[in-house]
Amino acid sequence: MFHWLERNPFFFAVGVFLVVAYAGVVTILPDFMESARPVAGTKPYTVLELAGRQIYIKDSCNACHSQLVRPFKSETDRYGMYSLSGEYAYDRPFLWGSKRTGPDLMRVGNYRTSDWHEYHMAKPTDVVPGSIMPAYKHMFSNNADIETAYAEAYTVKTVFNVPYDKPDMPKLGTFDQAKKEAFDAAAVIVADMKSTEVKEAFKRGEIKEIVALIAYLNSLK
Amino acid sequence: MSMETIRELQAYGYIFFTVFLAVILYAYIYHLYRAEKVGTRNYEKYADMALRDNIDDVPVEAVPPVNKEKE
Amino acid sequence: MQEKNALNYDYTVAKCFTYATILFGIIGMLIGVVIAYQMAFPQLNYLAGEYGTYSRLRPLHTSGVIFGFLLSGIFATWYYVGQRVLKVSMAESKFLMVIGKLHFWVYMIVILTAVVTLFMGISTSKEYAELEWPLDIAVVVLWVLWGISIFGLVGIRREKTLYISMWYYIATFLGVAMLWIFNNMEVPTFLVAGMGKWYHSVSMYAGTNDAMVQWWYGHNAVAFVFTVPIIAMIYYFLPKESGQPVFSYKLSLLSFWGLMFVYLWAGGHHLLFSTVPDWVQTMGSIFSVILILPSWGSAINMLLTMKGQWGQLKENPLVKFMVLASTFYMLSTLEGPIQAIKSVNALAHFTDWIPGHVHDGTLGWVGFMTMAALYHMAPRMYKRELYSKKLMDSQFWLQTTGIVMYFSSMWIAGITQGMMWRATDQFGNLAYSFIDTVTVLIPYYALRATGGLLYLIGFFMFTYNMYKTMTASKAIASEPQNASPMAA
Repeated sequence: MFHWLERNPFFFAVGVFLVVAYAGVVTILPDFMESARPVAGTKPYTVLELAGRQIYIKDSCNACHSQLVRPFKSETDRYGMYSLSGEYAYDRPFLWGSKRTGPDLMRVGNYRTSDWHEYHMAKPTDVVPGSIMPAYKHMFSNNADIETAYAEAYTVKTVFNVPYDKPDMPKLGTFDQAKKEAFDAAAVIVADMKSTEVKEAFKRGEIKEIVALIAYLNSLK
Repeated sequence: MSMETIRELQAYGYIFFTVFLAVILYAYIYHLYRAEKVGTRNYEKYADMALRDNIDDVPVEAVPPVNKEKE
Repeated sequence: MQEKNALNYDYTVAKCFTYATILFGIIGMLIGVVIAYQMAFPQLNYLAGEYGTYSRLRPLHTSGVIFGFLLSGIFATWYYVGQRVLKVSMAESKFLMVIGKLHFWVYMIVILTAVVTLFMGISTSKEYAELEWPLDIAVVVLWVLWGISIFGLVGIRREKTLYISMWYYIATFLGVAMLWIFNNMEVPTFLVAGMGKWYHSVSMYAGTNDAMVQWWYGHNAVAFVFTVPIIAMIYYFLPKESGQPVFSYKLSLLSFWGLMFVYLWAGGHHLLFSTVPDWVQTMGSIFSVILILPSWGSAINMLLTMKGQWGQLKENPLVKFMVLASTFYMLSTLEGPIQAIKSVNALAHFTDWIPGHVHDGTLGWVGFMTMAALYHMAPRMYKRELYSKKLMDSQFWLQTTGIVMYFSSMWIAGITQGMMWRATDQFGNLAYSFIDTVTVLIPYYALRATGGLLYLIGFFMFTYNMYKTMTASKAIASEPQNASPMAA
């Protein structure tokens, strides 16, 4: 039997595949039913927050910042309550990261403010002397992509039944409604900011990347 | 199916398949050494496939011409 | 079929992929050195505006070396080794020749597009799977082409039994196919919503599930790109170059099945103390330790192949490269399981020890083996002797020094960082603010980057040596049986 396998490439390949695939079937598949349930109070991201999340991904913030507080005292002291599976129910993709060149951001919304982020992104060493994080000046001149963010929210609502427009959940509605909501939310953040470039642009009807990113970071709690 | 049933199936699936593969692996080891002892096959000669690999070298085990159509 | 003595192995496609290996090796490693220096000297982030920040370049470095340098290295050796161990020439089938060339061009287009899109920040954020859906599909096409080429060549083979390297190539093909497809399941948002960027997509999995799939992929991408095909290479090139048959062919078969089964379970060790179920974490941890057995099975088999022939290390730099590669393989397959033990992982996870571990595997094992393979192939593909043995020797020592600098600095940095994160004062308060744990590492970052630079310089020496071998070296009359001919 064994030797037959060694000279019949097709069945050999089938054998290899079974042995290789089996671990995935056992470890991964069964948990799909269970761990996608949100914990109470977890809400889907608003369109502006999603736009910010896309910027977080575009500039690979997750290359240096984790979003996963492990259940150790040293971590809960530093970052707050340890992470629960249900808190990530609406994270597509997950952004746990694999390296902490910078601190964890799982609950950064609890202890940083809009203007802190603004200064920090413009020049990290101004607020954190010794920081090796690059400045992200282009976020002050590039526009956030509200359309793609809406498309993403609409997609997860339609395909994965993410509870937008349900009681106590963020509103999505049509694109025009969502856009108005996004501008209202952005107005609050812009009011907290100092950059005249961002403020002028907002008056012209543009939301800069930095505004959306701050909305996202503030939502991390 | 409830989560418990799935968990149970998962555990059984894991145990049986792992035991099954472990048995196969030991059977394979047994087969390798036995085949050599009995003299049906010498596995070590396959190492020559890397050493004598010119296109006009004689294959260690040639594909019989009849089977060639099937493969 | 032509007359027997007129028939030769056809290395057209292997040569194409050899050039690609060198090209993407330079791009990927150069970016790696740049981002390593950026961590020590943050001013270097501003060389190319938005496109030059560490965060934009990091996915480029990882994808560049994995899917650019290494994958083309795997393909180059496949189109070389495949023909030889099956004793059939690509020239015998017009169809396979066309597939091979198509494979190369699709590959080049995909990877170059990937480089451009990653610069633009088009990313799904999943590590080593950053490409968006149109490129994911293109990768599937290129993979299918490779599959046709493998099984097509197997179909017309003269050697009935498949050599162990073939097993490993086939496993690479199957493993990566499965992992890639499942980890890249995503829904293109434009197709559902009809607005926004057409290439944007959203992951099919959410949160913890997404993490499980990602690290099942991420860990096994390491298995099936960094380990399995490299073993395929060493099982062919080391015996061939040294003229020694594999120490134990039976052991190589057993290690193969062991590796295939055990590797896939170990992905959970990337998620220790996270929110995935406890048993997945424990299983990941246990299987990581078991993984030492099949890994060392292959590595020891390689070292024992050189039994009684250690003199070759002095005479032949290629053997030196390959023996050191096996040694680094042993080192990193011991280090990995140690890091996967829960209490060690609590300290090591999220620190620089992890990239340190990755790099002693990739630079030492993967990089050395790939370069040695190409060195071995060059005299046979170009019918010229290798250009300079001396250069090869200095490259060896330069790169080895680089690797040692790299991993020793990262060990220290990682453990320092991990200890400082958890250090408390006499009242139980955290002793250090986060930035303290960053600034303390800067000397180590500088040292690491310099180690990487030495390796990159070595790679340029390799490039030069290969270039001269192809163009200016002395022609050889007949193909060498074993040790590759080289000029002093």
